Amino acid sequence: MSLVLRFAAPRAAAAASQARQRRRFLTWCLAPSLAVLFVITLAPMVYLVVVSFTPLNLTNPATAWRFDQPLLNYRLLLSDERFLNSLWVQAKLSFWTVGLQLAIGVGFALLLNLRSGLLRALRTVFLVPMVLPPIVVAIIWKVLYTPDISPVYWTFKALGLSLPALITDPNWALPAIIAADTWEWFPLTMLMVLAALQTVPEELADAARVDGANSWQTTAHVLLPYIRGTLMVAGLFRLIDSIKAFPLIYLLTDGGPGSVTEVTNYYAFEQAFNFSYLGFSSAITVVLVAATLLLSWVVVHMTGWGAAE
Amino acid sequence: MTRINLSRRSVLLAGAGAAAALRAPAVLGQAKAKSKYAGTTIRGAGFSMPFPQYLKNYFPEFEAATGIKVEFDIQAFPVYNQRMDLELSTGGSAYDVAVLTFIYQDRWIGAGWVSPLDEFIKDPNATPPDWDPGDFVAQTSMRDAKGQTCGFGIEAGAVLFWAARADLLDKAGLELPATFDDIVKVCEAVNGKDGVAAWVQDNIHHWNWPPYLMGFGGTVFKDPPENLTPTLDTPQAIEAAQFYADLLRKYAPPAVLSYTQDQALEAQLKGRGNLRSSSATWALPLAKSPDSTVKHTVRYGVFPTGPKGWFPGNAMTGICIPAGSRQKGAAWEFIKWALSKEMLSRIVKDHGYPSVCRRSVIQSEPFKQAMTLNGQDVAALYLKTLERAGEAGYMRYRTAAVFPQVGDKINRAIEAIATQQMSASTAMKQAQLQAIQAVRLGGYKVDL
Repeated sequence: MSLVLRFAAPRAAAAASQARQRRRFLTWCLAPSLAVLFVITLAPMVYLVVVSFTPLNLTNPATAWRFDQPLLNYRLLLSDERFLNSLWVQAKLSFWTVGLQLAIGVGFALLLNLRSGLLRALRTVFLVPMVLPPIVVAIIWKVLYTPDISPVYWTFKALGLSLPALITDPNWALPAIIAADTWEWFPLTMLMVLAALQTVPEELADAARVDGANSWQTTAHVLLPYIRGTLMVAGLFRLIDSIKAFPLIYLLTDGGPGSVTEVTNYYAFEQAFNFSYLGFSSAITVVLVAATLLLSWVVVHMTGWGAAE
Repeated sequence: MTRINLSRRSVLLAGAGAAAALRAPAVLGQAKAKSKYAGTTIRGAGFSMPFPQYLKNYFPEFEAATGIKVEFDIQAFPVYNQRMDLELSTGGSAYDVAVLTFIYQDRWIGAGWVSPLDEFIKDPNATPPDWDPGDFVAQTSMRDAKGQTCGFGIEAGAVLFWAARADLLDKAGLELPATFDDIVKVCEAVNGKDGVAAWVQDNIHHWNWPPYLMGFGGTVFKDPPENLTPTLDTPQAIEAAQFYADLLRKYAPPAVLSYTQDQALEAQLKGRGNLRSSSATWALPLAKSPDSTVKHTVRYGVFPTGPKGWFPGNAMTGICIPAGSRQKGAAWEFIKWALSKEMLSRIVKDHGYPSVCRRSVIQSEPFKQAMTLNGQDVAALYLKTLERAGEAGYMRYRTAAVFPQVGDKINRAIEAIATQQMSASTAMKQAQLQAIQAVRLGGYKVDL
């Protein structure tokens, strides 16, 4: 026994030393990439957090390194009704745009997955909104929503009907943004879901049909569960993107009327770029980033995405 | 503070001089520049307003005379302000010449983001004496704390009041409104007649609303520029906000809240909207533009009087050289050319430009002729308004460094009232709280 130990101990020490050297080698190999990653992604985030503790105002450069009231911006946020309202507007916008884009995207993907030459030809057409520059999308909807120049309003008028001015009516302004955003981005979810549907083994659907399942049951109990992971990724992508909503709001409503369509991202933009309150804007952004991370974590864990099958 | 000293007598005296200037060659004084800055390219930027649009027509002359190439971007008002604010704040060198937006003057000049021009003005080699920098009206807002000139006015925005379809007023037996009460009476009488909305306004409420606010006895700040405590929740402010929002809600076309200045103008040119109060710049195309369908029905007047007095708005938009510019000499050549008596007189003559800032040109006979529209002496209305704003000094609120922030709160509150999301009282109290926060964030004390 002691002889075994006498030989085993140096062997274990040598193995441990080798493992340490290997780890060190790998660390050095990774170091340049990690350094670049830090400079590109983490350093700006760290700076953002640091700035959020200052009253930085571009008209007064001396405020860049003033930390005498580091939590002032956060305290102001807690009592800022406009900020709190922007969070609520953001929640409504995200809920509806993500929900609608997933529902419509899945619906169209299921249709386009049918074996039809016409539908195959239409696939490209459905992708057009997604590939248009956001500014062009905003201009298209601006025209559609402006009563004086909109063919939609002309048509309604010709039929003797009247539509409210969608982007200036407080009841319709947010739905108008949601409609435009959904139109622009449902093709992305459609494309992802369509790609996933084409990987579903035909035997699964065939087996369900042999068991007597109709089309609805096959879709609900075979296809959708199979592509659950893709739906999750698509939903998460759209959720994160919805939090970054900007061009449509900027061009269509400017956050109004009042603050009906002012999402948090837009409020932060106004504070930073209209008023130069970079410290305050950074605090808003930090809260927004934290909320996004938390929300993503909750979504991922609630749905069990990433857990072992 | 904006001060304008003009008298009608001096109008006549200066007329002859400016008329002579009309005949002078446009490239006067540029010969020296050609050798010094030839081959340089300068970049300029401004927002969508008539002066840069008109001036662009003459760029080839400037380029031929000096050898300086000019690239000038024109953007929408909010886009320009955001971009230029960011550009100036970072000391960028992308632009050599920039329009000095009235609501940003104190901020941009006070922060040292634009170059003082005195070194050029005082150098006889750079500026001939007959260019006469003292000829500009309302230059006070263009100076920094040391009294150095940082810009020159390109547009004196005097608020007038006009009806695109005055024939509808005539049919109703009514005159152009002289008081706030008259505005409501006229709107009630003519709204919807002939398919024309009685009222139209652009969405820059922080420019359009304060003359009504002051007419009701209110103010934006307690005592600008010394005391920038907002006063948006006073009974007078609430009353003024309700009055103004009601005009938008009851008598304006649908979607008026999204109207830019161009859209409001278009609505009047096409005869879709009748009454409007705004800068004279937006009034004159109704009589002059080939696209106007209301050339023969437009009628002009001064801004109506409120229960507490007459406070027509006035603002000076200027042109400046950003501090980060690397072509300051060439940029000054451009400004000198663009704002010379000769060039301004030509723009008045060729385009009927109504918002000139050179006293000698304003007082000239050609200016008066250009501003006689539908038989009305609009030049006299313009002068009367400029004089009033200059004497009373009530426009000081507008050049406060935190006015853009407070103006945003005014805009949101007016929209909320006009769309009946909130009562005027609630909206203005909320605007007051937000304005106080904005003023404090700007580093100013609030006296409550």
